Amino acid sequence: MTRQAFMARLREGLVGLPAQSQADILADYETHFAEGAAAGRSEAEVAAALGDPGRLARELRAEAGLKRWESERNASSAGAAVFAVLGLGAIDIMVLLPILMGVAGAIVGVSVAVIAVFIAGGAMFAAGPFGTFPGGAGAALLGGLGLMAGASSVGAVLTIVVIGLVNALVWYGRLHYRLLKPALEPQA
Amino acid sequence: MPEGIEIQLKKGVLDLCVLALLSQHDSYAYEIAARLADQIGMGEGTIYPLMRRLQNEGLVETYLEESPSGPSRKYYRLTETGRASFVSQKAAWGSFSAAVQSILGGAK
Repeated sequence: MTRQAFMARLREGLVGLPAQSQADILADYETHFAEGAAAGRSEAEVAAALGDPGRLARELRAEAGLKRWESERNASSAGAAVFAVLGLGAIDIMVLLPILMGVAGAIVGVSVAVIAVFIAGGAMFAAGPFGTFPGGAGAALLGGLGLMAGASSVGAVLTIVVIGLVNALVWYGRLHYRLLKPALEPQA
Repeated sequence: MPEGIEIQLKKGVLDLCVLALLSQHDSYAYEIAARLADQIGMGEGTIYPLMRRLQNEGLVETYLEESPSGPSRKYYRLTETGRASFVSQKAAWGSFSAAVQSILGGAK
């Protein structure tokens, strides 16, 4: 593979990363080729020693995705981290996918229930003074507040569980695929 | 699967090797990669994801230095955290490899 072909495939693989990171990474590999040339190695030799640019790009993207998840905990960075780990091929997707779908389904189900209970609590609280609830307006007000508080705390616990799950996945991916097998073996 | 074992072994010690090289003197990626590729058969390209990770973890930091030939080079040096991590990893490796060695030595 020539330097140009290697850099083109690496660039393709890095699409989606922030422009600054892409530029830094590409500059690293350009320098590597330049150093190799200065040491009297051919472009093909250097490219072969570097390994598969597609895999290197996946690993670099995964690292960037995990870093982002560690610096900002939100839904989009969680998604990015999960996909980055899956993209590594670190976990057999056919095994994991049904489990992930199950977990994601349960999370969505519980969130919907939490929101519904919260709204119901709100409605009960608002309607309390006007409706005819058993136990009177005071009980309705307290009951409504109770439902909303309960829903909020279940929601908070759910958030903690989700953060824990994403962390576990990230930890797993890091542990097992710090360095990918083919990247370790210089490709002929 | 001897091949599988070798890969697992390399995976485990690459970080330690990079930290060890940097503990002797600051270095740039090409030099680190060349030594590791030479001595433990690591793919050279792997060094960049690895250095990026070590940097993210705060174990190494970079600075630019003029090179006698061509553009300035990005040098890596150990941070305080990196040095501490190297010392503890080295001790852990020493006792682990001694233990393995004594078990292997007893096997015929």
